[in-house]
Amino acid sequence: MLAKWKLREVIVLSVLAVVFAVVYLLFLQLGTVLFAMFGLIGYDLIFGIWFIVSIIAAYIIRKPGAAFLSETIAAMVEVMIGNAVGPRLIISGMIQGLGAEAVFAATKWKNYSTWVLMAAGMGSSVFSFAWGFYVSGFAALSPGYVTAMFFVRLASGALLAGLLGKYLSEGLAKTGALNSFPLGKEHKRNVTV
Amino acid sequence: MSLFKQLEAEGLGFSYEERDIFTNLTFSIQKNQSLLLLGPSGSGKSTLAFCLNKLYPEAVDGILNGSLLFEGKNLDDFNQGELNQKIGIVFQDPESQFCMLTVEEEVAFGLENFNVPRIEMEAKIEAALAMVGLHDEKKSTIHTLSGGQKQKLALACVLALEPEVIILDEPTANLDPQSSTELAETIARLKKERPFTLIVIEHKLDDWVEIIDRCLVLDSNGMILFDGSPRQCFGEFAPFLQKEGIWLPKVVNAGIAAKNAGFYKGERLPLRHHELLAGLENSVAFSIKNNITVSLGEPILEVNGLYARGHLKNINLRIHKGEMTAVVGANGSGKTTLSKCVSGLLPLTQGQIHFLGMPLSKWKEKELFKHLGYVFQNPEHQFITDCVHEEIGFGLEDQAAIPAILEKMGLEKEAAAHPFSLSQGQKRRLSVATMLVHEQDLLILDEPTFGQDANTAHEIMEVLNEKEGSVFMITHDMELVDQYADTVHVLDKGELIFSGTPESLWGNLEIIQQARLKLPFRKRLQNDLVRREIHVAT
Amino acid sequence: MSLHEVNPSIKAFTVVVSILILSVFFDPITPLVTILWSVTVTFLFGRVSFKKWLLLFTPFLFIAVIYVWSTMLFPRLQVGDHIIWQWGILTVTAEGFQRGLSLGLRVLSFATLSIMFTLTTKPTDFLLSLMQQCKLPPKLAYGIMAGYRFLPLIREEFLTLKNAHRVRGVAGARTIPEKIQQLKRYVIPLLAGAIRKAERTALAMESKGFTGAKNRIFYREITVSRIDWIFLFLMIGAVILSAFISWKLGYLQFYNGEL
Repeated sequence: MLAKWKLREVIVLSVLAVVFAVVYLLFLQLGTVLFAMFGLIGYDLIFGIWFIVSIIAAYIIRKPGAAFLSETIAAMVEVMIGNAVGPRLIISGMIQGLGAEAVFAATKWKNYSTWVLMAAGMGSSVFSFAWGFYVSGFAALSPGYVTAMFFVRLASGALLAGLLGKYLSEGLAKTGALNSFPLGKEHKRNVTV
Repeated sequence: MSLFKQLEAEGLGFSYEERDIFTNLTFSIQKNQSLLLLGPSGSGKSTLAFCLNKLYPEAVDGILNGSLLFEGKNLDDFNQGELNQKIGIVFQDPESQFCMLTVEEEVAFGLENFNVPRIEMEAKIEAALAMVGLHDEKKSTIHTLSGGQKQKLALACVLALEPEVIILDEPTANLDPQSSTELAETIARLKKERPFTLIVIEHKLDDWVEIIDRCLVLDSNGMILFDGSPRQCFGEFAPFLQKEGIWLPKVVNAGIAAKNAGFYKGERLPLRHHELLAGLENSVAFSIKNNITVSLGEPILEVNGLYARGHLKNINLRIHKGEMTAVVGANGSGKTTLSKCVSGLLPLTQGQIHFLGMPLSKWKEKELFKHLGYVFQNPEHQFITDCVHEEIGFGLEDQAAIPAILEKMGLEKEAAAHPFSLSQGQKRRLSVATMLVHEQDLLILDEPTFGQDANTAHEIMEVLNEKEGSVFMITHDMELVDQYADTVHVLDKGELIFSGTPESLWGNLEIIQQARLKLPFRKRLQNDLVRREIHVAT
Repeated sequence: MSLHEVNPSIKAFTVVVSILILSVFFDPITPLVTILWSVTVTFLFGRVSFKKWLLLFTPFLFIAVIYVWSTMLFPRLQVGDHIIWQWGILTVTAEGFQRGLSLGLRVLSFATLSIMFTLTTKPTDFLLSLMQQCKLPPKLAYGIMAGYRFLPLIREEFLTLKNAHRVRGVAGARTIPEKIQQLKRYVIPLLAGAIRKAERTALAMESKGFTGAKNRIFYREITVSRIDWIFLFLMIGAVILSAFISWKLGYLQFYNGEL
């Protein structure tokens, strides 16, 4: 998989991960407030933000593996920064990334429309929820509450990862920084035509 | 010198994104030659350099035409990465050429790429660091090094591989003048110790004139304009190059100015200081600055007994109405900290700052920044909208004033463009414009001409000069201080060691040395003239 | 023996396996014993500053408390549960309380294991080890390293942006659309700058002959020794022993596959 990647793309991917590691940290504060207000479901409200890098990376670079690798690298970078969640986070990242990647794979990595991006965010929601169910022991919670958590997380994945990811990527394309990437080229064509 | 052709290009062309960067270049470079590659910005100098060591076209999906040989062998016949051991390159940006955390790991990275046996690595790393004078920093984290040290590290990484050709792609563009000179001196010394072929791309040429023995000039269409000796290049073709927008050494520029004014009698334009001096007839007229003594207005900002960040110590200074103030000093002397304190962005540990008669701490933030503007070193940090027009109009009551500002800053064609997509110079002009429109009483600028070409630098200074309010500007450029500042403050290790006019600073050599400053060209020339006259008299 | 010298990949593997095993149990005693064990090991063999440890640990205490009350207030009710408190729709049962406590302690046991890793592992060593022991492709590993290097730069830029926004009067954001606008104002300049720098870094790495080739002689070799395996077995053994103690005390409870 990696053989088809240029070093430039790998480093851009990892830089995206580093920037969002910082953004994630900022959202952790907001998450904790929501957590304190609403309990476990509070986190699910903004859970989608943690998937945003896979949507952005896939939308910009458009290569098989972009969603999976970016989320995995983001998790690794967080562990290297000294995030106390530790090595477990790498597994979570891989699972979240796989969720988005599965959706892109279903389109054979050809379709990057708004709906696909939102579906990819939801893919991460589903995968991460399954993992959380096991590791965080959601089985001990009332089924009604768990169902509510699931649907909140699903919506969050679609909106905060899919839709917001698209919005930010397009903002970035306007700056010209993506001119050597598929999204930047597409943007340039649309402007000149 | 051997006349063996090390690099040969024939009919070389490169196109990228359906655009020709350069076409049909034919030239060769001899072993151990020192070549200066010149050309206006956008003429493809860097692109050419990247083609010579096979980084391009792979890295950018470009198309390379013609043939390129290294020691008689076609570049296509080298394996990926193989040529990089023979041809090393130091890039422009000190922040983005490393991938490891510490100095020693970074040098080792290159050695690892060529599978150097582990037992040999240590010695090679030590030797390379010693060559550039970074031996004591072996275990340091790269992030803690200064810009000049980072560029030396980049050079050490190249040297560790014992290359035959070294390419320098504007290595001093982001360095202060002192570090730039040091880097050029290091190269000159290394060339004497161990010969190698050198290809230099540079804008600030003065430090390199002594090192180079050949010039290759590209024009704006990417064709060869001149290929020959520096003496001929600058001595005969200089006015022509100047018209093409190509940078010249300061001595040559001075020579052209003197010739136009009619008091340079030399046959060729000068390339070195002493040649310029020898050719000058009316030396005094040339080096005197038209000094208009400005009477200073009321003080608008007063700093008393300021301490901050455990770094600034007992700073006292005044900024007067309409005054152009420059703050100079070595890296880490506290210039940026001071400017942040003065603009209320950083709290003080002790002391007071009064702005327009009121303590800075009493100002409401919204109100304060209507009267005080701050231009950051990186223009991009300041942009908050998606187009140039909106950027200038942001928070502006009189939207009708925008076109005039756009025109004044030469941005009228870019009104609809995204601020980030502008050229380096345009970005800088826009960032100044976003502050100028509000006509603040005081404008603070953190190195407004850093990394800018000479034209942009002067345009910005002219605009600031015309401006009504006061200016407080951090700079490394002594030429600007000499030309534009009314008052200059010198910082050294957090202390203010001098405040006065530039002319009085130039007379105080002790301060100049202590703060690691450099006399401006005009002053150096003047001193040389005085020395010559004394010499003639005795 | 020092935890700092344990092979980073094996250390990470140990932590992950321990967490996976712990996730099977739903009783308070197993995680509690594991917590005591891993804290002891951290301070005995890690030479870790207590202040740093506490700084990382405190947020998890908070999260653990929320886990406890979420599980207490919204428990999975089973036939035969003993109700100890009831108010409106809220029902607290003894079993629910115990499960809540076990989830809270589970969070803390994960935290102590992870902090042990975080405070005793250097990022560079971790990546070198992943390349040397786990065959992580160098292209990816050095790509991550290059990105990681940008972190201090991004932090500085973030602070500068904050100041720049103050000067331009756009520092505050209250409503949600304003917050999204603000996020964009931070993220776009940070990303645009970082992406351009990343492209230059890639070029610089290639100019030093980096091709991503897998056979590579490393300046610093990260080795695996017997100590590393002893560490692995001791740690995982301790988790299993914790479960055994819990079973002896009559508390042990498995995940029953409820959905």
